[in-house]
Amino acid sequence: MRPLTRFLFATAALLAFAGCVEIPDQPPGPRAAAPGGDPRFANVDDRDRVLFEYRFAASSMRAGNFDDARKLLDDAILRIGGVISGPDEAARRARGLFTAEREKTFIGEPYERVMAFYYRGLLYWRDGQPDNARACFRSGQFIDGDAEADTYKGDYVLLDYLDGLASTKLAADGSDARTRAEKTAKHSLPAYDPAANVLCFLEFGPGPRKVAAGQYGEQLKFQLSPSRVRSATLSLAGQNLHFTPWDNLNFQAMTRGGRVMDYILGNKAVFKRNANTVGDLALAGSAIATDNAYKEKKRVVTDENGRQHVVTDVEKDQGSENTALILGAVGIASKIFSAATETRADTRTWDNLPQYLSFAALRLPPGEHMAILQFFDADGHAIQDLTRRVAITVGDPARDTVVFLSELKR
Amino acid sequence: MNNTYRFLLLAGVTASSAFFAGCETAQGVKNPSGVPVTEMRPDERGFVAGTGVESQDLVAVTDKMARSILGIPQIARAAVEPSIVLEPVVNNTRFPINKDIFLTRIRSQLNSKAMGRVSFLDRAMMKTLEHERALKQSGQVTASANPNAVEFGGADFFLTGQLDGLATRTSQGTSDYILYTFRLTDARTSRIVWEDSAEIKKQGLEDAAYR
Repeated sequence: MRPLTRFLFATAALLAFAGCVEIPDQPPGPRAAAPGGDPRFANVDDRDRVLFEYRFAASSMRAGNFDDARKLLDDAILRIGGVISGPDEAARRARGLFTAEREKTFIGEPYERVMAFYYRGLLYWRDGQPDNARACFRSGQFIDGDAEADTYKGDYVLLDYLDGLASTKLAADGSDARTRAEKTAKHSLPAYDPAANVLCFLEFGPGPRKVAAGQYGEQLKFQLSPSRVRSATLSLAGQNLHFTPWDNLNFQAMTRGGRVMDYILGNKAVFKRNANTVGDLALAGSAIATDNAYKEKKRVVTDENGRQHVVTDVEKDQGSENTALILGAVGIASKIFSAATETRADTRTWDNLPQYLSFAALRLPPGEHMAILQFFDADGHAIQDLTRRVAITVGDPARDTVVFLSELKR
Repeated sequence: MNNTYRFLLLAGVTASSAFFAGCETAQGVKNPSGVPVTEMRPDERGFVAGTGVESQDLVAVTDKMARSILGIPQIARAAVEPSIVLEPVVNNTRFPINKDIFLTRIRSQLNSKAMGRVSFLDRAMMKTLEHERALKQSGQVTASANPNAVEFGGADFFLTGQLDGLATRTSQGTSDYILYTFRLTDARTSRIVWEDSAEIKKQGLEDAAYR
């Protein structure tokens, strides 16, 4: 093998393996300013801040730390609302060939943003502001209007039902919202009771996870884990509230349909594949041209003694050599571009979301009430290790008491 | 250079041109960079950060309402300065907002510009005031006037309002229209003596990376 051919093959091999370099999951970047000096955000990249706010907020809700959840969700919602603010440098770069989608500022897929508004809505209701709670539920339903198919646009049963309930409590007409909820519900919905002063929100099962699929990881897919819990009951003061799933976040995640970003990532993947193919062809062409750049010519010469010898001359074809160099350069450049193209879909996930959302309302007198919360599997058998006692304190009669219950631990 | 090499060279250059042409990943995507939000008013356009309620809306709306209230005969020509109580604004939009901020700004505008033509009763302080009066009545604290006299003012008017919204979302973007309505209701007759509104419409489209 001639030196030029060896050089080209060595470079190609080097580039091929260079493409295997694993990019760290969280490359270093600018750090988010810790909200209120919150040490939890000390090592969080600015572009991931909303993601961590979502996660911490859900954990705080489950731990009963509602002030913390409120602060986190307010900041996250502020950022979500600010995405329509003209040119976004991080988003522009994420659309580029050589920057991964995860480099953009995380705001989450619609089902994640909906949940941020849902949780914030519960907190507004808890704070005696049912109209702002209703605004959150409406925003959530509005965000779900992003779904590709009309059937799946704004199809959260609970958000419409709560919209109507809030309107009813504000002495307005909640019937339209209720009708919309009934249209999408898979079970009959309880009638609105304006005097019901305790609102119980229950969630169970693990939520969807994002995964990258496709040859180059350019497709955003969801990994679904089946929930062992399928229903629950809350028993207190002689009442037995039954909770069945009203909304399923797995379903919501799956029915969003194609994103515009999927189209862009698809284009990136095509580019990566074509660049790789062009690189292969150009390097092969270069190798062929190199082989043909030097030709051996045999000729017979007669020496001074009259004897004849066969002499081999190596003849260099300058044109072939130039061709080999140009093709080699094209091949190498193509391989570099292919290896550097970032096609992977953004799989940052709000990983502590539930799968199912449920709701029930009841009337309770002021004071402390002890209740028993039981979860049931698909066969209706109680899951003993999840059974627990819940204390419900009904306080200020001027506002509804919001009870947030979750099967999830963190 | 023979024909075979010329062909290879041409093929290489063509392939690389095609390859670089493919660098535009957002081909076929409409408005990949998004469209800046535009504030839709009859007489002006501007750039804002979102399609929700923002400070410039608050200022514009409350300025208009304060000017409008000062012009009505019940305030402008009242023999005795009328007392107004603020009632919470009802939010019917899809945007959670701090509702009190509207009435607070209207009140501060009226207080600073009405030059004593109107007064506001601080009903938010009632619990504290009642507690203080009870202390005075029981002699636990001193009183500069008779603590048993009923001196808490009664309302002549109630000022309240509501925010209503219409939202549209299509592949072309997001559009939000908000109608701000405020009214002054006579506490004695329940008649609405004044009502005014302001409306703001905004629309925008986020970057393709978020769509």
